[in-house]
Amino acid sequence: MSVRPIAALAPSPLHARTALRLLDIDWILLSATLLLICYGLVMGYSITLEDRGFTGDVGQQVLRGVLYAVIGLSAMAVVAFVDHSWLGTLAPLFFLATIGLLALVLVVGSSTLGATRWVSIAGFKFQPSEFAKVFMVIVLAKWFADRDVRSPFTLAGGLALLGVPVALVFKQPDLGTSIVFLGMFFGLAFLAGARLWQLTALAAAGVAALPVLWGHMQPYQQARLTAFIDPYSDPQGAGWNIIQSLIAVGSGQLLGKGLTAGTQSPLGYLPIAESDFVFSGLAEDLGFVGAMILFALYLVLLLSAVRVASRSRDAFGTYLAGGVAAMLAFQIVVNVGMAISLMPVTGIPLPFISQGGSSLISICFALGALQSISMRREAKAVE
Amino acid sequence: MRDRSDRAFVRRRRLAAFALSLVGVFVVLSVRLYDLQIVNGAHYRALAEQNRVVRVPVPADRGVVYDRTGMLLARNEPGFAVTIIPVDLPRGREDELASRLAVLVERSIDEILAAIAEQRARNPYEPVKVSHRPLARETALLLVERAELYPGVRVTAEAIRAYAEGPLYAPILGYVGPITEEEYGERQGQGYLLQDLVGKTGLEWQYERYLRGTLGWREIERDASLHELRTLALVPPVPGNDLVLTIDHRLQDLLIAELDQGVREDRFTQAVGIAMNPQNGEILAMVSTPAYDNNAFVKGVSAAQMSEWNSDDRHPLVNKAIGEIYPPGSTFKMVTGLSALSTGAATRNTVVNVTSNVLVVDGYRFYDWRVHGSLDFMNGFAHSSDIYFYTLGGGNPYSGQRGAGPEAIAKYGKMLGFGAPTGIDIPGEAAGIMPDPLWKLAAFDEPWTLGNTYHESIGQGFVAVTPLQLLNAYASVANGGTVYQPHLLKEVRGPDGDTVVVNEPEVARKLEMRDEDLRLIREAARRVVTIGHAYMPNAKLPIAGKTGTAEFGQSEGFDSAGRHKLGFHNWFVSFVPKQDNADPTAEIAMLIFTFDSSRSLCDACFNPAVAMTQRILEAYLVPDDKKATSP
Repeated sequence: MSVRPIAALAPSPLHARTALRLLDIDWILLSATLLLICYGLVMGYSITLEDRGFTGDVGQQVLRGVLYAVIGLSAMAVVAFVDHSWLGTLAPLFFLATIGLLALVLVVGSSTLGATRWVSIAGFKFQPSEFAKVFMVIVLAKWFADRDVRSPFTLAGGLALLGVPVALVFKQPDLGTSIVFLGMFFGLAFLAGARLWQLTALAAAGVAALPVLWGHMQPYQQARLTAFIDPYSDPQGAGWNIIQSLIAVGSGQLLGKGLTAGTQSPLGYLPIAESDFVFSGLAEDLGFVGAMILFALYLVLLLSAVRVASRSRDAFGTYLAGGVAAMLAFQIVVNVGMAISLMPVTGIPLPFISQGGSSLISICFALGALQSISMRREAKAVE
Repeated sequence: MRDRSDRAFVRRRRLAAFALSLVGVFVVLSVRLYDLQIVNGAHYRALAEQNRVVRVPVPADRGVVYDRTGMLLARNEPGFAVTIIPVDLPRGREDELASRLAVLVERSIDEILAAIAEQRARNPYEPVKVSHRPLARETALLLVERAELYPGVRVTAEAIRAYAEGPLYAPILGYVGPITEEEYGERQGQGYLLQDLVGKTGLEWQYERYLRGTLGWREIERDASLHELRTLALVPPVPGNDLVLTIDHRLQDLLIAELDQGVREDRFTQAVGIAMNPQNGEILAMVSTPAYDNNAFVKGVSAAQMSEWNSDDRHPLVNKAIGEIYPPGSTFKMVTGLSALSTGAATRNTVVNVTSNVLVVDGYRFYDWRVHGSLDFMNGFAHSSDIYFYTLGGGNPYSGQRGAGPEAIAKYGKMLGFGAPTGIDIPGEAAGIMPDPLWKLAAFDEPWTLGNTYHESIGQGFVAVTPLQLLNAYASVANGGTVYQPHLLKEVRGPDGDTVVVNEPEVARKLEMRDEDLRLIREAARRVVTIGHAYMPNAKLPIAGKTGTAEFGQSEGFDSAGRHKLGFHNWFVSFVPKQDNADPTAEIAMLIFTFDSSRSLCDACFNPAVAMTQRILEAYLVPDDKKATSP
C-alpha cells in the first residue's frame, strides 16, 4: 500500500499555479489597453477645453475620466481573477440582466437628441446598451460553445437570443448599437465555425429585409442615411454633420492643429464632439499621425484578443475572446467610418476615446475576461 | 504540439481570416484618412478657416409715445451696449476679461461671469448683453480700439429709452428694463432674447405688443482672428409701432404746476389730478405726485435710491390715481342721492329739517357740519348736509322717512363703478371697497348697523375708492348715464406714420337710472358752485362739481418729506357742461384729490382742490383773448 505524500508538506500546487497565471496575463493586450485609456484621457481634456459651450470645471471633467478609468481597471482586475467559465455558467443571468437593463431604459430612461439611452442611478448617468453589448457576447459565446455550431438550429437560436436586445435597442432608437450587435453576432458565428452558406443566407435575408427596416426608422435616421449617400444634398441640414466632420478631419493634415487647438469643435461645427464625433476632433487636433497611432493601438489590441482566442483552453473562452474582438472592431469601424463618411451617421461611442463611463467600464470588464482566459489557457504547447 | 483535434473549437483558418480582415479594415480606414488629411488636407484646412459665421440679433427700435397733440413723451436716444459671444471667448481668459469689463460697465465681476456662464449653457453662439446701463461713447470706443484685450466682446448700438419730464409721466408710462429669467420663460416662442428690454409697468408694459417690433438677424462672416468681414445675410428688424395717447400735455402741465405748488407750500403732501372726456372715456390728464423718475430705471436704479422710494410713506412708486384707495367723503353723496332717487326713497322735493347739527339714533350721535334748517334735495346736495344724506341713506326715525338702505347703495354704487377696477389700460389698478351687509359679515363677521349706513351715506366708514373710480362715476352722470372704460391709448401708428389701430371708446355699462334723476344731480352739482359752497370768484366757466373732505389716519407728525400729516383729504370732482344748464354735454370732467390737506372748518372754505380746479380749467378751456377781455 503506497502512502500518498501529505499535501501540506508539498509546495501548494494552488499557489504555484496562481503565480504562473499572473505571468500568463496577456502583457501586450494589457499595454495596449493602458495606452488607449491614456489616449482617451488626453483627448477628453483637449475636447473639453475646446468646447466653449462647456460650463463645468475642466479639471473636474478630467478627474471624472480618471475615475472611470480606475473603476474600469478595477473591474478588469476582478474579472481577470475569476475563472472565465463562471461567466459561462452565469450566462443566463447576463441575458436576463441585458433584457432588464434595456427595458429599464425604455421605462425610466432620459432622452438626449430624441433618443432615450440613459438611465440615472444615484446621480450617475449610465448607458445600459454599452453593458448589454458585452453581456450578449458572453451569452452568445456560451450558446455556441455548448452546441453544434454547424447546425442551422444553433445559429437560428443564437439569432433569436440576440433578437430581443436588438429590438429593445432599436426601439430607443439606437441604430448604431443594433448594427454592432449584428456585426458581433456574425463575427462570433464565423469564428465558432458556423457554415459559411448559412451565414451568407442570413446576410442575404438581412439585406432583403432592409426596406422593411427603412419603414421602421425614425425620420432623422432616414435623413442621415440619405445624407450619407450625398451629404451636399442638404448641406445645412442632415448633411451638415458629415461635411463639418470631414472638414475637421481633413484640416488636421499630417500633424494636426495641436491638442486643444482645434477650431471645428469650439465653433460648434462638430456636434457631440465628446462622443459620437470624437474621432473628428482627434484627427483635427493630432492629424494623420495621431490617427495612425490610434489605429496601431487598436490593431494590437484586437490582434491580441485573437491570440487569446486561439490559446483558450475551452471553446467558451475562444468564442468570448473572438466575440469581444468582433464587437470592438465593429464599434471602431462604425464610429470612425462615420467621421470620415464611409458609414452613415449613427451615434455609437469610439472605444476608449469617447467620453463616458459606461463604454469604458464595460470594455474593461470584457478585457478582464480576456485576461482571465489568457491566464487559464492550456499549458504551453512545448510542455 | 497538441493534437489539433484536441481543441477543435479553435478554427485557425477562421481566426486567421478574421485577423486578416481586421488588418484590412484598418488599411481601408487609413487610406481614406490619407486621402482626406494628406492629399486633400490643404483644401479642408481652407474650408475650416472659412467656417466662421456668427448670427447676431439686430434689435428693433421700440415705438415711441406721443401725447394727443404730437408731443414726444417717450423716445429713443442713441447709446451703446456691450455684448459677449461666449464661443469667441477662450475659457482661460474669462476671469481676466470679466475683471476688465466690470469697471467699464459698472457691474460686479461675478455678475459678468454668471451672465457668460448662463449664455454658454444656453447658446454660446449668440451674444449676451453684459452692460445694464448704456455706455458712454468714449468707453465704447476704448473697447473697440483695444479689441485684443476684450476677446469675444462686441459693441453694438442700442437705443436708450428717454422719457419726457420723468416723474410727471412715470405713473402712466412706466418704464422698460432688462427682461428677467421669469419673464423670458413666460414669453418663450415670442421671439424674445435674454438681452431684451421689455416694458415693466405702465403703458410700456400694457402695450409691449405694439411697441416692441420684431427682432432682426445678421449673419456675419469672420476671419480666423474673428474680424468681421462682411454681412452674409440680414433679416432687417421691424421697428415697433408708436402710441398716441389721449393725454394732453398742456393740461398735464397745468395740473402738475398747481399740485406741486400746493405740496411746496405745505397745503397738502400728496395729490392726484385726473381729467377725462365724459363722452368717450379718454383720459386727458393723469397726475400723481410725488412720483418717481422713470429715466432712473432705464439707467439702472441704485439700491439706495430704490430703498428710499420703497420706504417713502408717500408711495412715489404707486400711481395714486388708480393704485391707492381712499374714503370718498361727501363726493359719495351723489351715490347716496341717486340710490334714494332710484329706489323712490326720495324725490327732488324730499325735505329734511336739519334743526340740529346732530342726529341721535340709539344713543349714537351722527353730526352735521352746521344747522342747515329745511333742505330739499338740491340744497341738501349743494350745502353738503350730512343729516340730509343720513336720512336719504338710512332713514330718519324722527321724521319717519325711510332711506335707500345699504343694499340699494351697494347696487347703485357698483353700477357707478365702485368696488371694481375701471379697466383702464395700465396695470396696478385697485378695486376699492363697495360694502354691503353681506360684505361686512364676510369681512368682520358682524352684522351691518344703521350707523354703518349713515357713515357710508356721507362717504365715510368702509367705502373706499380710487380717484379714477370717483371721476368715472361723475363722468357717467355728466354724460347722461354711460359708464365708459377709461383709456389712455388713442391710437397706434406704424413706423411710417399710418394709423394701425384706433382705440374705440368702450362702454362698460349704462346706468339704470331715470334721466331726470341724473339731471337733478347735474343741477345740484352746478348749484354747489353757484351758491358759493365751492367758491369760484369771477368764474368764466359753468363748472359743476362736488366737494369732499375725508378724515382718516393721524393728524399729527410728519411724512417722509418732513411735511405735516393732517389726516384730512380734500376732493373736488367737477365737470363742465357746454352751456350753463343741466344738459349732459360736458366734454371734460376733472378730479383733484389732495392728501393731508389743511383742516377745513366748513368743508369748503379751505378745500384747496376747488380753487385749483377753477384755475386749471379756465387756463385750459378759456382762450387767452377771452381771458384778457374779462375783468
